Amino acid sequence: MRYVPLIVLGACAVTAPVFATQYLSPEQAQKLMFPEADAFRAVPLSLDAAQMRQVEQVGGLPARSAHWRVVGAYKGEALLGYMVLDDVVGKFELISYAVGINPDASVRQVEILTYRESHGSEIRLPAWRRQFVGKSAKSGGLRIGGGIDNISGATLSCTHVTDGVRRIAAMAQVALVK
Amino acid sequence: MIRRAQPWLGTLVDIAVEGTSSQDAVTAAFAEIARLHRLMSFHDGASDIAHINRAAPGDVVRVDAATWNVLRLAGEIADLSGGAFDIACAPWLVDRQILPAPEHVQPLALTSAAVFSLDDDGQVRKCGAGWIDVGGIAKGYIVDAAVAVLEAAGVPGGCVNAGGDMRAFGVSRVPVAVRAPGAPGRAARHIMLCGEALATSGSYFSARAHRGGVVSALVDARDGRPLVSAASASVCARRCAVADALTKVVLATGDCAHPLLAAFGATAFLI
Repeated sequence: MRYVPLIVLGACAVTAPVFATQYLSPEQAQKLMFPEADAFRAVPLSLDAAQMRQVEQVGGLPARSAHWRVVGAYKGEALLGYMVLDDVVGKFELISYAVGINPDASVRQVEILTYRESHGSEIRLPAWRRQFVGKSAKSGGLRIGGGIDNISGATLSCTHVTDGVRRIAAMAQVALVK
Repeated sequence: MIRRAQPWLGTLVDIAVEGTSSQDAVTAAFAEIARLHRLMSFHDGASDIAHINRAAPGDVVRVDAATWNVLRLAGEIADLSGGAFDIACAPWLVDRQILPAPEHVQPLALTSAAVFSLDDDGQVRKCGAGWIDVGGIAKGYIVDAAVAVLEAAGVPGGCVNAGGDMRAFGVSRVPVAVRAPGAPGRAARHIMLCGEALATSGSYFSARAHRGGVVSALVDARDGRPLVSAASASVCARRCAVADALTKVVLATGDCAHPLLAAFGATAFLI
């Protein structure tokens, strides 16, 4: 009887579902969003408590994070806009995406960078989420065990991406408009 | 190969094109998807669909040619399916809180023939109080429209996939995994798609408890019965709009040999 747990674990490893796709690296996304830019520079951004409250008011969603990964796009000295990088963990999937923001804080473009779907409970575990840290479409490593790219099935809603974009638009309104 | 995805149509729309293609063609295809999304959204008060829903009986609403084409195909499929598919089923979905109410006074669910008729030149005549939702067909139509943009740009082959409603075109052979409805993270079947569309409908993501019963985003439009079966229906057809709509007919009737399939040169399977 004591071997049973091992057998069960083995079976899980073999059948663990992986639907995964890599789309763009952050570098590819910023070039697509701002083709006329000649320089991209990281913009360190940490919101203070008052700004967090403002983001919640403007976006109608919990502000979630004080720290944001933001890249400024420039042509010479002129600011063309920003690209904000974010991840959302949905019920079944982890999605990394980039939002292009115009200087007036309006949304210019949204591009999905990577998509990984799992229907197991592991998506809620920090260790499972940590395996994505520092990885990008370019560096690879997201295609664990080889993802299946095209899936047909009932439509998986992407409400959490839409919410994420709304939060970023609010954050841009509060903290990026000069 | 270029591969990009953007959130549209309430899902992720994924476009993959052959290696020699340009980003500009993909960008143009996404622009068309965005345009059609705005025209056909039930949620957006400025869409053609919202204008039709808010119109009073007797009003004539001018709509985009794309919206008009979707309404015409939807009407045709409603007729030929005996009403198993009907875009006038929206009041049931609003009642089940799957869609937001466009207005305070909720009409009864009617047939689309009782709600509107199509005049020439992109005009829609509202006949009776009622709400329409093209969510069961527009995703497929928009996939077809994106493919048309890519083909017109000279893209030799690729695939457009709107959350499972997809179409392969040109030289591309596209392997597709169809979800197992009982375990949506697993593939129940693998298909090779070549020059055709595939759509799959099932209630496994949208089913939820509501007023002591179970509802989903899918209904049998003949009687408003929520479709909450454990099965999923997949349809292969030349056009994705047809495949998308016919999955609902197959799911409602349970009939993979429904005469409507042959009429559109489509095939179906249930999992």
